[in-house]
Amino acid sequence: MTDPSADPQTERHMNRVDLITGGVFAVLGLAIAYLSWTMPRLEMRGIHPATVPGLVPGLLGLALAFCGAVLGLKAYREGRGAGGWSDLLALFRTEEAGRFCAVAGLALVYALVLVGLLPFWLASTAFVFAFIVVFEAWLSPQPRPLLRSALWAAVQGVIVGVAVTLVFQYGFLVRLP
Amino acid sequence: MPEGLTLLGHGIAHFLTWEGLFNLAWASLLGIVIGALPGLTATMGVALLVTLTYKMPPDQAILCLMALYVGAIYGGSRSAILLAIPGTPASAATTLDGYPLARAGKAGMAMGIATTSSALGTLVGIFFLALIAPWLAEFALRFGSYEFFWLALFGVLISGRLTAIEDPLKGYIAGILGLLAAMIGMEGLHAFQRFTFGVSALGGGINLIPAMVGAFGFAEILAVMKRRFTAELVTSDDRVLPRLADITRYWRTTIRSGIVGTIAGIIPGVGEDIGAWASYAAARRASKEADQFGKGSIEGLVAAETGNSAVIPGAMIPTLTLALPGSAAAAVLIAAMFIHGIRPGPLLMTENPAFLYQIVGILLLTTIAITVFGLSLTKLLVRVLLVPREKLMPVVYVLCVVGSFAITQRMFDVYVMIAFGLIGFVLREMRYPMAPLVLGIVLGDLLDVNLRRGLLLSDGDVTPFFTRPISAVLFAIIAVTILMSLPMVSRRVTDLFKRLDPQRRAG
Repeated sequence: MTDPSADPQTERHMNRVDLITGGVFAVLGLAIAYLSWTMPRLEMRGIHPATVPGLVPGLLGLALAFCGAVLGLKAYREGRGAGGWSDLLALFRTEEAGRFCAVAGLALVYALVLVGLLPFWLASTAFVFAFIVVFEAWLSPQPRPLLRSALWAAVQGVIVGVAVTLVFQYGFLVRLP
Repeated sequence: MPEGLTLLGHGIAHFLTWEGLFNLAWASLLGIVIGALPGLTATMGVALLVTLTYKMPPDQAILCLMALYVGAIYGGSRSAILLAIPGTPASAATTLDGYPLARAGKAGMAMGIATTSSALGTLVGIFFLALIAPWLAEFALRFGSYEFFWLALFGVLISGRLTAIEDPLKGYIAGILGLLAAMIGMEGLHAFQRFTFGVSALGGGINLIPAMVGAFGFAEILAVMKRRFTAELVTSDDRVLPRLADITRYWRTTIRSGIVGTIAGIIPGVGEDIGAWASYAAARRASKEADQFGKGSIEGLVAAETGNSAVIPGAMIPTLTLALPGSAAAAVLIAAMFIHGIRPGPLLMTENPAFLYQIVGILLLTTIAITVFGLSLTKLLVRVLLVPREKLMPVVYVLCVVGSFAITQRMFDVYVMIAFGLIGFVLREMRYPMAPLVLGIVLGDLLDVNLRRGLLLSDGDVTPFFTRPISAVLFAIIAVTILMSLPMVSRRVTDLFKRLDPQRRAG
């Protein structure tokens, strides 16, 4: 197991992350507790007042708010010196952030736009093709020639798209989107 | 006892058919491949396979899922030894001694020892599963609403306490978020729809399988692809088949690690990674060659691999008898059992006693399968490690999408998968553990219904929650767990123990 606490820069930005998320959880917890408090208590149905539907979510909301507040306060007290906010902002400008955006973007476009718009096999082929080309030809430390990468990506894309469609549609009798 | 042995014999014989052996072979091999590939975890594999096996007969489906689970936990050792990258988090401790052994030209030996240790670890766990589970199921028949409420709370809390990397508070928050996710949809006492905000698809609540596929599949893809990958494959042509003396030399470590792993498995939501680290630490403390640990110690490798494999049967003990998942993958297994009409819990031994022994049979047969595959398919498994992740991950994501869609055939489940994937990724980056979140989703309904049912039975009086003997014990454990996670309290308790222990005081 790697020790994540070794890097002081990581610790500084984690401290700021905890400060923000602590606040977010505290607000979220209170909001849930409020929604639970205002939830119908089904008096018309004559249920026992100790069994109202909002009881457990309300208690959980309060627990989340408490834990969030403690997390935020701990982060505030520990401080970890100046530079935490700039470290946190720098995190969004790293190469890793770019790679994350590329994966998340491709995945969301495929699942939320292409599936349903195109036949499933074609949507899957397009996604696999785009994913491989982006990570082999552009975002790789040793990029491969675009044409070669695209050719093999297209072959794999068609095989995956068609095979998954056939297996699920005819093997598992799933009506694909 | 004779009845138990007869049932065990039936449990093994049940799967000695062509269909059973075929399913055992492909599922355990697929598990090993999934485990060996960094970025594909056992939980992700089991969650995706649920969608592929839901049309199978229940016994065969559970056979496939269990075989894949055991195979994946073992398979993770391959990449840990040859690439210094654990194939699954369970093999992180294996890397410490496995990779130095490979660099010293003993890759074959390391793979062989990892295989036999995994097999022996599973066997130790199986022994305790067959021994403890029937007794625990019978004992659990005394549990009422009060006890089940505390048990659910205990599961989420202990998982949060033990799986958080640095701060138990983050484990607790993850657990509470899971419990809150379980509050969405129709509640079990008055059929009232909570937190649906007019979205009819939310009425049925959050489906566990898409949520797990998201939190362990999509989130893992995001995490793996985010990093730049620089790994060097180290392999050698030395003998893979270990000598008997190599296996028997560390029998004490094997038994100790097996017991530690089983205990880690029994504790709800504490998975194979913790089992491996705990047995590794215990082995190092007891070893005469402690200085060799981390430099290529065979004993260290034995401890890590025995420990993580023993967790699986250990995890099945609370999973089957209390419906309390012993690990994240076991949570998926519970969901799969419900899909197939099997109800784990205290009544399992009354309603379906053969099932427990079928699980024991599956684990025994899978142990044989992974030993055969692990010792014979070395070259093929090395080749698997060379599959580039750029080519693999898009295929896994397509399976995540189609797998989430397949069970209820609605796009809403795909959206759930995406939401849990993104939330899971962000939480993991912020060092929140995933296991308590999953446990929260599984146990939320149990906690909610039993608290309110208990209050209904006692006419709003909370005292039975604290005065019934088993409830009082569970409450005491929960209170101690929470108190001990407060730094101020744990420091004082440690000081007190130091004062009471003259040896430590002298040191």
